[in-house]
Amino acid sequence: MANPDPNIPISQVEYKKVTEDLYKQNLELARLYKEVANLIKQRESLVHLVTHKIKGAFTRSKYIFAGILDGTFGEVLPEIKRRALQGLESDDAGIKTVDLVLNAANLASGKVKYEMKTLDFKDLVLKTLAEKRSVAETKGLVVETSVKDEIYNISGDVFWLKEAINNLIENSIRYTKTGKIAVSLDKKNDKVLLSIKDTGMGISEEDKKNLFTEGGRGKDSVKINVDSTGYGLYSVKMIVEAHGGHVSAESEGPDKGSTFFIELPAEKF
Amino acid sequence: MNLSALDNNMFSQMSLRIIKEQELVIGPMAWDEARKVPGMQVVNSQSGEVSLRNGDPKVVIDGLVAQYERLFGRASHEVCREAVRDLIAQMPAEEVPASLK
Repeated sequence: MANPDPNIPISQVEYKKVTEDLYKQNLELARLYKEVANLIKQRESLVHLVTHKIKGAFTRSKYIFAGILDGTFGEVLPEIKRRALQGLESDDAGIKTVDLVLNAANLASGKVKYEMKTLDFKDLVLKTLAEKRSVAETKGLVVETSVKDEIYNISGDVFWLKEAINNLIENSIRYTKTGKIAVSLDKKNDKVLLSIKDTGMGISEEDKKNLFTEGGRGKDSVKINVDSTGYGLYSVKMIVEAHGGHVSAESEGPDKGSTFFIELPAEKF
Repeated sequence: MNLSALDNNMFSQMSLRIIKEQELVIGPMAWDEARKVPGMQVVNSQSGEVSLRNGDPKVVIDGLVAQYERLFGRASHEVCREAVRDLIAQMPAEEVPASLK
């Protein structure tokens, strides 16, 4: 039993016993750590195997549908062409989903190597928005932009930052039935601030807790987006944090719209 | 006794396995304790490099195992044995340090 009086030194026998007991506890922790590390490794390898196999299957059937559409297999009835187009679109959506999961796995395991260089974040945001504008407008949504007159140079990887911005803009469009998407850029205290505000389905308090976690899709998100994986915002968080930034979201609740923010360190002149 | 390059490499590998396994349990202290063992030279703990100096390498390994056991008891002895189990399986019995038999 441990000596209750801290002023009286413990005996050598007691000291040895305490040290040995601590060793045994550490040993158990080390064993658990190894087990967890092995499980993570196994899961990573399974994710890669499954996603590559599924992507391969989608790619093969995409090739067949594309062949039907471009006449490789001869003349076909318009109805078959229409079905082939649906199949092609479905395959594209499937490949996109698989890529999202694969990217998240690579980002989480540190396999992604960022190519950091000076870039104009404003340019990147506006270009990404321009690519998505027609999708929003076809849906009847108004797209607004507000950019304060500043220099928005940051150090970052164009590919991955575009993925992050794209993800937030696509989400806003997807989860907004009517109203508008407002994208704004500002600069404060050496930080570049991007906000994407929508009048969409909003976020419940319960969903806010899991928003940026792995597989943390919203409770009702699947009702609107059947392909929701819960890996999109998780990837956004990993990308933004790898750039020394911060991502967050605000919403007054369900059906009250949401605002997503990306904050990144501005490059100093 | 002078160690042949082959022996030195094999026993260095064994001691490295033991130290690294102990490091998982007790952290950097594993390297501090290894430094106290006569005949054992820690060249670089960051890159994991050790060298056995002149002397019987089996005795050096026994010293290493005893160093951990003196402080942490039987459980640490088992950790040493487990760390080199596969290496020992390939060695002739007379080459295996007594503490790991």
